[in-house]
Amino acid sequence: MFKILYIYFLILQCFLCASKTNAEIINTNVERLLDLSSQLVKTTIKITAEETTGKPITEYVFLVADPNLAFISLKDDTEKNILLRKNKEDLNGDQTFTFTFKKASPTQTFVIETVSSKNIRPHPVEIEQNDKQLVKYNGSLYFYSKYKTRTQKTNVKLSSSNILFHTQQKPFSVGANRIILGPYEDIEALSQQELVVHYENQTPFLTVNTLERTIELSHWGNIAVKEEIQLTHAGAKLKGSFSRYDFQKEGRSDHSAVKSYKTYLPASASGVYYRDTNGNISTSNMNLVRDFIELELRPRFPLFGGWKTKYTLGYNVPSYEYMYNDGNKYQLKMHLIDHIYDNMVIDEAVIKIILPEGSTQIKFSTPYQISRRPNELVHTYLDTIGRPVVTFSKSNLVESHIADFTLNYSFEKVSLLQEPLLVSAFIYVIFLFTIVFLRLDFSITSHSHKE
Amino acid sequence: MNRTPKMINSKVAGYSSLITFSILLIAWLAGFSSRLFAVIRFESIIHEFDPWFNYRATAYMVQHGWYKFLNWFDERAWYPLGRIVGGTVYPGLMITSGGIHYLLHVLNIPVHIRDICVFLAPVFSGLTSISTYLLTKELWSSGAGLFAASFIAIVPGYISRSVAGSYDNEGIAIFALQFTYFLWVRSVKTGSVFWSAGAAISYFYMVSAWGGYVFIINLIPLHVFVLLIMGRYSPRLLTSYSTFYILGLLFSMQIPFVGFQPIRTSEHMAALGVFVLLMAVATLRHLQSVLSRHEFRKLFFVGALLVGVTVFVAVVLLTMFGVVAPWSGRFYSLWDTGYAKIHIPIIASVSEHQPTTWFSFFFDLHILVCAFPVGVWYCIKQINDERVFVVLYAISAVYFAGVMVRLMLTLTPVVCMLAGVAFSGLLDVFLQEDSSKRMGSAMNAVTETDDQEDSIERKTLYDKAGKLKHRTKPDSPQDNGISSNLKSIVILAVLMLLMMFAVHCTWVTSNAYSSPSIVLAFHNSQDGSRNILDDFREAYYWLSQNTADDARIMSWWDYGYQIAGMANRTTLVDNNTWNNSHIALVGKAMSSTEEKSYEIMTSLDVDYVLVIFGGVIGYSGDDINKFLWMVRIAEGEHPKDIKESDYFTDRGEFRVDAEGAPALLNCLMYKLSYYRFGELKLDYRGPSGYDRTRNAVIGNKDFDLTYLEEAYTTEHWLVRIYRVKKPFEFNRPSLKGTERVFPPTNFISRKNSKRRKGYIRNRPVVVKGKRTLK
Repeated sequence: MFKILYIYFLILQCFLCASKTNAEIINTNVERLLDLSSQLVKTTIKITAEETTGKPITEYVFLVADPNLAFISLKDDTEKNILLRKNKEDLNGDQTFTFTFKKASPTQTFVIETVSSKNIRPHPVEIEQNDKQLVKYNGSLYFYSKYKTRTQKTNVKLSSSNILFHTQQKPFSVGANRIILGPYEDIEALSQQELVVHYENQTPFLTVNTLERTIELSHWGNIAVKEEIQLTHAGAKLKGSFSRYDFQKEGRSDHSAVKSYKTYLPASASGVYYRDTNGNISTSNMNLVRDFIELELRPRFPLFGGWKTKYTLGYNVPSYEYMYNDGNKYQLKMHLIDHIYDNMVIDEAVIKIILPEGSTQIKFSTPYQISRRPNELVHTYLDTIGRPVVTFSKSNLVESHIADFTLNYSFEKVSLLQEPLLVSAFIYVIFLFTIVFLRLDFSITSHSHKE
Repeated sequence: MNRTPKMINSKVAGYSSLITFSILLIAWLAGFSSRLFAVIRFESIIHEFDPWFNYRATAYMVQHGWYKFLNWFDERAWYPLGRIVGGTVYPGLMITSGGIHYLLHVLNIPVHIRDICVFLAPVFSGLTSISTYLLTKELWSSGAGLFAASFIAIVPGYISRSVAGSYDNEGIAIFALQFTYFLWVRSVKTGSVFWSAGAAISYFYMVSAWGGYVFIINLIPLHVFVLLIMGRYSPRLLTSYSTFYILGLLFSMQIPFVGFQPIRTSEHMAALGVFVLLMAVATLRHLQSVLSRHEFRKLFFVGALLVGVTVFVAVVLLTMFGVVAPWSGRFYSLWDTGYAKIHIPIIASVSEHQPTTWFSFFFDLHILVCAFPVGVWYCIKQINDERVFVVLYAISAVYFAGVMVRLMLTLTPVVCMLAGVAFSGLLDVFLQEDSSKRMGSAMNAVTETDDQEDSIERKTLYDKAGKLKHRTKPDSPQDNGISSNLKSIVILAVLMLLMMFAVHCTWVTSNAYSSPSIVLAFHNSQDGSRNILDDFREAYYWLSQNTADDARIMSWWDYGYQIAGMANRTTLVDNNTWNNSHIALVGKAMSSTEEKSYEIMTSLDVDYVLVIFGGVIGYSGDDINKFLWMVRIAEGEHPKDIKESDYFTDRGEFRVDAEGAPALLNCLMYKLSYYRFGELKLDYRGPSGYDRTRNAVIGNKDFDLTYLEEAYTTEHWLVRIYRVKKPFEFNRPSLKGTERVFPPTNFISRKNSKRRKGYIRNRPVVVKGKRTLK
């Protein structure tokens, strides 16, 4: 740890006197693909880096200036996605990610993928019902790096060919749904220039403000999953009045209003319910597609810009698909979050895992950093001491975060019998009491009842 | 309860209690399950209007606790007045379900309060049938009791108020009513303080649950009074009534909503009068035993005169000084059916306050309505103290049920009881002696019928067993004259009738009383599929999610409770119609022109207006159809501004097409209902703007709204919500030059001819007006 810090410090120093030292890493070629076709900014950056003095590169520091970064991963020669963990220190307020190569070599080629949310903003902020949704993307024209970049090219993918404006830094070319910026030669380290693209984007700008996912585990063979979702249409707000007549007359599908969206559930899900505080939402369809269930959810009302809705979605899955055991040791492997709609954005997710009553030695691991909250206890049907609940939260999640967590715990099988025994004992006592009560005379007077 | 030798008694008691137990259990289950149509067809949801308030109040109590609930001032209702909920509500229902909720949660059974509320009435229907059994057993026999219990479990007249989801006071009140009567009859029979105290406690529960407790506090004194007149005074009566009255009075005053009413309002005076009378009679009886005959007569005349005069003067004086309140409007309307129509349109506007039609007696009670007079006859023929009670109960309930559809509910239990008596009497005659074989054959004949029938069969069996003992004391050897063939034919006919009754009950329950009314279902005539119209919840949920938390929503009062319950927003008026003038103000806003109603709406801080419009799907209960009531209620308070006759055509018709009255075609309600409807074509051939509910092409198609804008309209246009614009948001309509009125100025120039400095001839006059925003 200390060593890393030390090295880091050295690098920092090197950077401060960058012009003087020449033993340097430079990016010889950078190809960026900026996918702006949805509400997310998905960036794929292919970097070829070289050590000018010919020494092998062991470490590379990647900078992200964007505070809305949700997800970052690295693809190596090994073609395996490696999740990157953020360094504790920021550099001039930028997030830094340091990674070490397995094979040290003077030239390295690798791919970094990032996903960030909320960088595409509606512009104008308010539109009328029949207007098209225009959005503006503000980003950086050059690949933002700690190192000098020799040549770079950016390929911007858009959702439509209707482009109102984009940064006119030559050379560039505009195709259908596409802008190619660059190649730009010899860009200094840490140089920043703004890239603005103003274009039409009618894809749904839905944001999940809060997701509360509860996974309740039963050793009787069932896992109940319940998701409480607060959803907002974060696109351009609806200005003026809503007209049902116009909405019905048009029936356009590319409207920025969201009539319905699809949620994918595990194929084994059963007993699906979709409801809110006023009861069942009667507008949804369920299709079984080969290896998952496609649930077409229609909110009670179409979601226009700025409109909100809230609902609960729940289902059961058989536990044998997710639970493994070895004697008294159990392991649960499930998705931390699940698919809600394509290109989803979740601002804040709280995940609760309710374990069976009497579970001990709970160990928990996740593929990415989460903030763990203190364990709780809940009491539900026939509980005596309460069930332990593992709770944690994470903010700014996207689809790439759908990954399995692992939860290990131990549980005595005998305690399974506790609840049926409790019920039988209770009924037995009632019968016994009735028998005793009916056979004995508790009257304090001796006379019999008269009519 | 039969006074038979002990040996046989214990053996029979074993069987009979088993049979009684199982029949009551089956009745409970049958009653419970026949109330679940709505839950199975739709979902576990609160129905209609009032239940939504009860549910909201219960949820509040569960969340905030009992004392907070008692002190609850609901600022979300009756804006800007608010409503003191704790003091204006019968809390029995909330306490009952809150108590169940508490108990279940103590046992770690996390049932949602909504589900408790939904299933409360069906569960209580079982208790009702048990208490009906007990009461009928006291009055007649346990056989009749079992009949009555089975009848009340499935009779539509009671189911109409107690299906799952209909979370209303009546659901538990009928149980409390029957149970109080049972305890009362028991206490009159035994003269024991224990039973009459029990009756008082049960009466307390009834007071806490339903305003219909007044029925008890008038019927029981009536019973006592009639007994006194019939010369059936007994010390038992004195004990039971005085205990019941005193305790009941004290208990009933503990309910905040009732408060001092039991000693101050006319509705309760009969009970007090009978109490005084009973005391007087008791005193006289005592004096009679002490004094000589001559002295007693003298005392009686002087005393009676004195007491009569004093009581009369006291009552008149108290009423004059306002200590005793006169009868309330709703009670007047019980005596004079035309009263409400003239004086309180708001009561008359509720469909359940209309007089009952003959048809609905049969619809709700079926065969029982025919059997019931027979039961009355039996009771009169073999009269005793408690049968006097049931006869009075029957007569008064029939009267009230005839006055108001709603009070069909109080008639139903007594009809069930007396029909039980009638059927029991019938089977007494026809199921005698050689009945064991016959029963067997009858059983075989109807084996394929359902549980319900089964229970009836067993009832007859039990009834016979019980009766055989009874007959020992006996009246007449009439059975000799009836041939066994005739007997079996009669038995079969009776069973047939009962079977048809069960079928009818199920049919009525399924078709008439099991609609939640906030979710509508219709069958597609083409492919037979069932479609659900969920527009109400769509709109309410939109309000709850997409309006400011303190937004005030104006709608007709029918939807007040639903808006508060489902959308959780502030309403101006709701189903607790306590303030007529406030409702009239809303009615006035709805029936004025847009401009005038805007003034009312801004003065009431209205943010949104909600109207129900059924023209697209042909829903008949919409606001245009209710509109005349709004006009009438508004006219009652604002006769200068609103006149009902303006909304009719010259020929006295209420129509929305081109020939409709101009006042109607330009009022706010019309505009909000039909905004942009004129452009909508419902099918390819028909004209645009065709209203399916009223089967007419609307008269005023092309208009725009100035002061409001459409905020949301549901999928089938059933609920339309408009936002009231703020004063700076709209272009005020321009006035024509001729219509402009300038305020006269009081300005007098100080300049006189000496001080005049300059003077321009034909100086252009600047007219100060209002600038239009662009």
